[in-house]
Amino acid sequence: METTATAPTDRALAIKKKKALDASFFKKGIAIAALSSIMYALYTAFVTGGQLFGVWGNWFGALASTSLVVVFILPTIASGINDTLSAIWATLVTLKQGKIADLGRCIASKPGRIVILAAFIGGPIASAAYVIALSQAGTLAVPIAALNPAIGAILSRILYKQPLGPRVIAGIVICVIAGVMIGSTGLTGEAAPGMALGLGLALLAALCWGIEGCVGGYATSMIDSQIAINIRQLVSGIGNLIIVLPILTLVCGGTLAQSYTYVAQAFTDGSSVIFFAVSGAAAYLSFMSWYRANAMCGTALGMAINGTYTFTAPFATWIILGLVMGFDGYALAPIAWVAAIVNLIGIFLIAVNPMDLLKKDGE
Amino acid sequence: MLPLNYAMLKYFTCHDEACADDVMEALKGEYSSFTAFTKPKMQEALMTAEKNGLISESRFDLDGAGEVRVYYSADQEQRDTINSYIK
Repeated sequence: METTATAPTDRALAIKKKKALDASFFKKGIAIAALSSIMYALYTAFVTGGQLFGVWGNWFGALASTSLVVVFILPTIASGINDTLSAIWATLVTLKQGKIADLGRCIASKPGRIVILAAFIGGPIASAAYVIALSQAGTLAVPIAALNPAIGAILSRILYKQPLGPRVIAGIVICVIAGVMIGSTGLTGEAAPGMALGLGLALLAALCWGIEGCVGGYATSMIDSQIAINIRQLVSGIGNLIIVLPILTLVCGGTLAQSYTYVAQAFTDGSSVIFFAVSGAAAYLSFMSWYRANAMCGTALGMAINGTYTFTAPFATWIILGLVMGFDGYALAPIAWVAAIVNLIGIFLIAVNPMDLLKKDGE
Repeated sequence: MLPLNYAMLKYFTCHDEACADDVMEALKGEYSSFTAFTKPKMQEALMTAEKNGLISESRFDLDGAGEVRVYYSADQEQRDTINSYIK
């Protein structure tokens, strides 16, 4: 690219201001990616907290922890309620911003259909796969699912020709190692009977989230991020409650009447639904920031920064549920703190070329 | 009527080069009431599109107010990509 011919002083000023504009855009992208991680942490803390109160407390207290309802049905309902309330928040903001007509226009377009597909893959399909993976493979599913930033970066290289040099690959590998370190804290070493299925589904969840981050981010370079995330949460909420829940209910041998009674009770339970309202708002902000950051920073950096949720989510849960509300069992393992530092080193390596810093020092 | 971002990208499929001011001038008739129709938001949308390879930076200079003005363009491959997504 060239600068337009002007007086030397003007050209120098133009170059200076162009560098400042680029730096501002880069920093804003990183800040938005960090916001996505922080909001994901709040979403996790409040969606976990919601399941400790009211009807949820009764259900988890009365049902065996290994029952199909506890393992498959209730998590799907929690996810569906969160995403539905999140979609309501998103729609209200879309209305307030005067973008509701654009929402309809975007849904009818090719980028809109791509967001719908990405949302369904990363929402209901990945969530269901992850829930089943956790039940079959235990916490071994967690580090496998933490591969999703690496998958997203590779897919962006293949699909959208985004740069993926050795430095970025090294940074992603370090971030994945950090995710595996945190995920490994709950490992028991016991091989469950459905281990292979569980690990396969955990990999499927990672693949789904990688696809969503890559494709959703690219679509957000065309669709307004507010509209993209409105579509995403509508699809995810409806998909969880209208498609995934009935399928899981029938596979588990339950009745639809029972499952939707749970849904109705959860929506009308004042003591817990307030938590889901907060988690839904946080999820809306988190996913919007995630898509937007991936579009602004590129998938590799955006997903790596978002991937710090492997630390921030249990950290926020410990602060809110453990320290503030006094529930036991949410303290972080020491390795999580070490992993957080490892994660930051990986992100730094993706974002900044250390050689550039050396050059700057030498100048 | 296209969504604002779509109209912004479509502009580059039939114009050789434009900065944020040029795009806003061309679209103000239909889109000036949109909340996203501001210079900073339009500039950010252009930079996001450039980051994702939908358009490319062609040159930059200073405008009359001394602010940097970045020009973008779309080559044939980029125009084809935009047209394949946005009809």
